[in-house]
Amino acid sequence: MTKSRHLLPLLTGAAIAVLSAPAFADGYTIGVSNTVQGNGWREEMICAIKAQALASGKVDSLNIAHRNTDAAGQLEDLRNLIAAGVDAIVVNPSDPAGIGAALKEATDAGIVVVAVDQAVNEPTAYIVSNNQEEYAYLGAKWLFEQLGGKGDVVYMRGAAGASADSDRDKGFKRALAEYPGITVAHEVFTGWQQDQGKQQILDYIATGAPIDGIWTSGIDNVIVDALVESGGDLVPVVGADNAGFVGQLGSVEGLKGAAVTNPGSIGGAGVTLALQILDGQKPSAQTVLVQPELWENVTDDGKAKLKAAADPSLDPEWPVSIMIPDWTTYTKDQIIACKGPGE
Amino acid sequence: MTGFVKRNAWVIGLFALFAALVVLTRTIQPDYGAAGFGSLVQAVLPFAFAVAAQTVVVIAGGIDLSIASMMALTSVTAAVLMDGQTESFAILVVPMVLLLGVLLGAINGALIVISRVPDIVVTLAMLFVWQGTALLVLETPGGAAAEWLKSLLVGTVAIPGVPTAITDWIPRALVVLLVCLAVVFVPLYRSRLGLSIYAIGSNNLAAFRSGVSVGWTRIAAYAIGGLFAAMGGLVLTLSTGIGAPIPGPYLLASVAAVVLGGVALTGGTGGIVGPIVAVFILRLVRSDLTFLAVDPNVTTIVEGAIMVVVVMLGALLALRRRAT
Repeated sequence: MTKSRHLLPLLTGAAIAVLSAPAFADGYTIGVSNTVQGNGWREEMICAIKAQALASGKVDSLNIAHRNTDAAGQLEDLRNLIAAGVDAIVVNPSDPAGIGAALKEATDAGIVVVAVDQAVNEPTAYIVSNNQEEYAYLGAKWLFEQLGGKGDVVYMRGAAGASADSDRDKGFKRALAEYPGITVAHEVFTGWQQDQGKQQILDYIATGAPIDGIWTSGIDNVIVDALVESGGDLVPVVGADNAGFVGQLGSVEGLKGAAVTNPGSIGGAGVTLALQILDGQKPSAQTVLVQPELWENVTDDGKAKLKAAADPSLDPEWPVSIMIPDWTTYTKDQIIACKGPGE
Repeated sequence: MTGFVKRNAWVIGLFALFAALVVLTRTIQPDYGAAGFGSLVQAVLPFAFAVAAQTVVVIAGGIDLSIASMMALTSVTAAVLMDGQTESFAILVVPMVLLLGVLLGAINGALIVISRVPDIVVTLAMLFVWQGTALLVLETPGGAAAEWLKSLLVGTVAIPGVPTAITDWIPRALVVLLVCLAVVFVPLYRSRLGLSIYAIGSNNLAAFRSGVSVGWTRIAAYAIGGLFAAMGGLVLTLSTGIGAPIPGPYLLASVAAVVLGGVALTGGTGGIVGPIVAVFILRLVRSDLTFLAVDPNVTTIVEGAIMVVVVMLGALLALRRRAT
């Protein structure tokens, strides 16, 4: 008797859980796989996916696998999404090659696969990505020009092995080759983690080695914080269009810098592309690249652009480019609310 | 019969829980079938080897915090050795990597025995040592794996004369897992070493006074743990086709499955079947949460809550049984 008393609420709970599962109507179900959690850029990507799915009116439900894991864990998530019977998968790949097996299984099962932010090697997958090589080239070239083509630069990269990082490295090296007077005094992987990046620059400042400029792969506002806190000279800093950094470029006295756009809203573009393909409009190329822009605070023109883009209402780690023309149709309120269909 | 049930009550309970979860999964996702089971086993593989490694060490009264790092190191070593080599060269790579795992584990064990520093401190330090070594071997994810080895984990087993309706439910990955576990555990259970591992985990001093060589047994337990970590590293390389130097989420998962599997962290009790079933349960819960499209930020809370509830329920049942 005692046993059944314990079991009854458990079973009722399970029954409710089953009954409250989303009912599948005629709209699409889109699966999402992402392997970095707690990073502002990635959170904006997820919110853009939710907002675009809602704004499109064509998506019944989203199935989001969003956690910190490795390529093997992403294989597991992707296979779960396949088993869940989604119509399309929007994936930010942890590795261009490592998840190929599951992507192939997905396209074999008739699922539309769109990789956002970074490329994948699997030829059947579509890719909507920011042009990462150009991102690095634009910022690095601006930095080296600011330094008059001479000096010691700290090169703060992203996550080792991520294809966005290797593409950016190509762009950085391309700019470096054009300015032979520039030397990379220090090269580190921040892993795109704010705390880690700040610690790394503080450690380097503590060595007393000269720094003429800093290029960051988007871990930017904490680097400015570290420079200000350590009380040394403010050197030019290149970062991404994160709200906090864009704000600093306007407010920190004596700071020269440039923000290169890298919209996290690319996730929304991924949803749009997936829906277009599901509706029978295939893009002419397998890969669609979104081109970056550079906003600096040295010229009046650049300052005006920064001022127009600055948005203190956003989370400091969120990129300010919360929309991509032609690709996203949601409103600012929708992306900030971060609610998908049925939420 | 009743004796068997009583002795294995926890494991039988886990099987029942797994069966209930399968039923629940079918309710949520009516077309969940052989393909889903195959994916489940593939997801289980690296976790299963991590938990096998942890189980041996915990039964011997220790704990190995460097398991995920050893998996990363053996994984990148395998990926680098197979990169640009012929398919047949991989036959040599597998034993070399397994031997490397044994060596890494034995180093962990030897350091603990010689230095007399607690297991948790030594293996925490070795976590960083092996992780750094993995980055030395391969700075960024890369390398390759032989195709025939990769295919060992994909698809199902074909048995002549048996209808595919049955063999569809026997993924190759499951056969690989069971064979690898059996090859080590069956002889171990029957050997003097196996008994000694339980003995030192249960009571170090009593084991010593009964003539067990405590130091060597501890080193052997860690070496076997290293062997399983190497198997885990190999399946990581085979499933992704690359080696990644940054350790995955296998350490905490291995401890969680050991506890859920009925192995006491104080050592000396438990077996391998419970922890392996526990891994299946934890992975299937993850699948169910994906099928239900639960808010991703809630899923980790659910996973943790299930662990606490199951372990507490088990402790409660054990208390009641003792009272009657």
